[in-house]
Amino acid sequence: MRDSLVYVSYVVSAVIAAGIYAGLPKDGKAAQRGATVFAISAGAAAVVYLLHRMLGSVSGHVVFCVLSALSIGAAVRVVTHPRPVYSALYFVLVVLATSALLIQVGAEFLAMALVIVYAGAILVTYVFVIMLSQQSPETQGRISSMLDYDRSAREPFWACVAGFMLMATLAGMIVERSWGEPAAAPGAGHYRNTVELGKLLMTDFAVSVELAAVLLMVALVGSIAIARKRLPSAAEFVGTRRRVRLGRRWSRFEQKAQRHGSSRRGD
Amino acid sequence: MFAIGVVGFLTRRNMIVMFLCTEVMFQGVLVNLVAMGLLHGNLQGQGMGIFVLVIAAVEAGLGLAIVVMLYRRRGTLDAESWRTMRG
Repeated sequence: MRDSLVYVSYVVSAVIAAGIYAGLPKDGKAAQRGATVFAISAGAAAVVYLLHRMLGSVSGHVVFCVLSALSIGAAVRVVTHPRPVYSALYFVLVVLATSALLIQVGAEFLAMALVIVYAGAILVTYVFVIMLSQQSPETQGRISSMLDYDRSAREPFWACVAGFMLMATLAGMIVERSWGEPAAAPGAGHYRNTVELGKLLMTDFAVSVELAAVLLMVALVGSIAIARKRLPSAAEFVGTRRRVRLGRRWSRFEQKAQRHGSSRRGD
Repeated sequence: MFAIGVVGFLTRRNMIVMFLCTEVMFQGVLVNLVAMGLLHGNLQGQGMGIFVLVIAAVEAGLGLAIVVMLYRRRGTLDAESWRTMRG
């Protein structure tokens, strides 16, 4: 039983890898619609496998399977979509599906934080950067008008092979091992996830929280320092202007001298 | 509860084209952490998940700053244009 499951997981990973390979934009021509559908259905195959695996083990596995199918399909689209903006939007879908999964297992606070931080903050930053730095002309959504590096993936085959290897290894390990029942599933009674999580963060993880705060601060300063435009500071600016003025005067003087010298030589 | 882990890594199986994929990987790791925390019946997984979130935010900020800088230098977002960095 378990061995066959291992092989099933290998097959599922291979199917998904092939779907991604088919869906990736390749040289010159974009991914066909059929390939896209295939990639999505590959995700669905994974879900069929999951259904098969989970039958009768956990209640509410239909919701779980739908959500995971959604997140997998959206993740495939994130990777394969030729336009960065759309792939960012698909990433929003991934985030939403993931947070729904987290709610389902009773991690409400983390789910809310995920939606706020990812879909709210990080994605807005991404979209800003994409819009700042995108120059591919938007002509009727035709793929041929897009930039070259959006149209063709780099080494798609070997990347898919590597992804397949990783995924097959992980899936085989996870399937092979017997996990047993989850220990004392919380969620009964007056258990409140956020309260408990806050207690945990402030007691066991207090140092880490402070470290995370410092890290965020450093990253803020660092990213501003990196992305800042090289504007000269005020003192430098005055200095350069004076230098420029002096230089202009000097060049005028030179020109005059040249003209003078040449005219004299002409005599 | 085991299959949540399956999804956790099913989601993060990509490292190819763009920077956004790292975020997808973070999602997979996050789901996996929460699932394992649930498996062991404690909240450590979720606590770690919050730190994963923090790291993801930091990484997104810094990485995007670097991307903007590289774009200003080269005028393109193509990773291949930095091929000269190859040793």
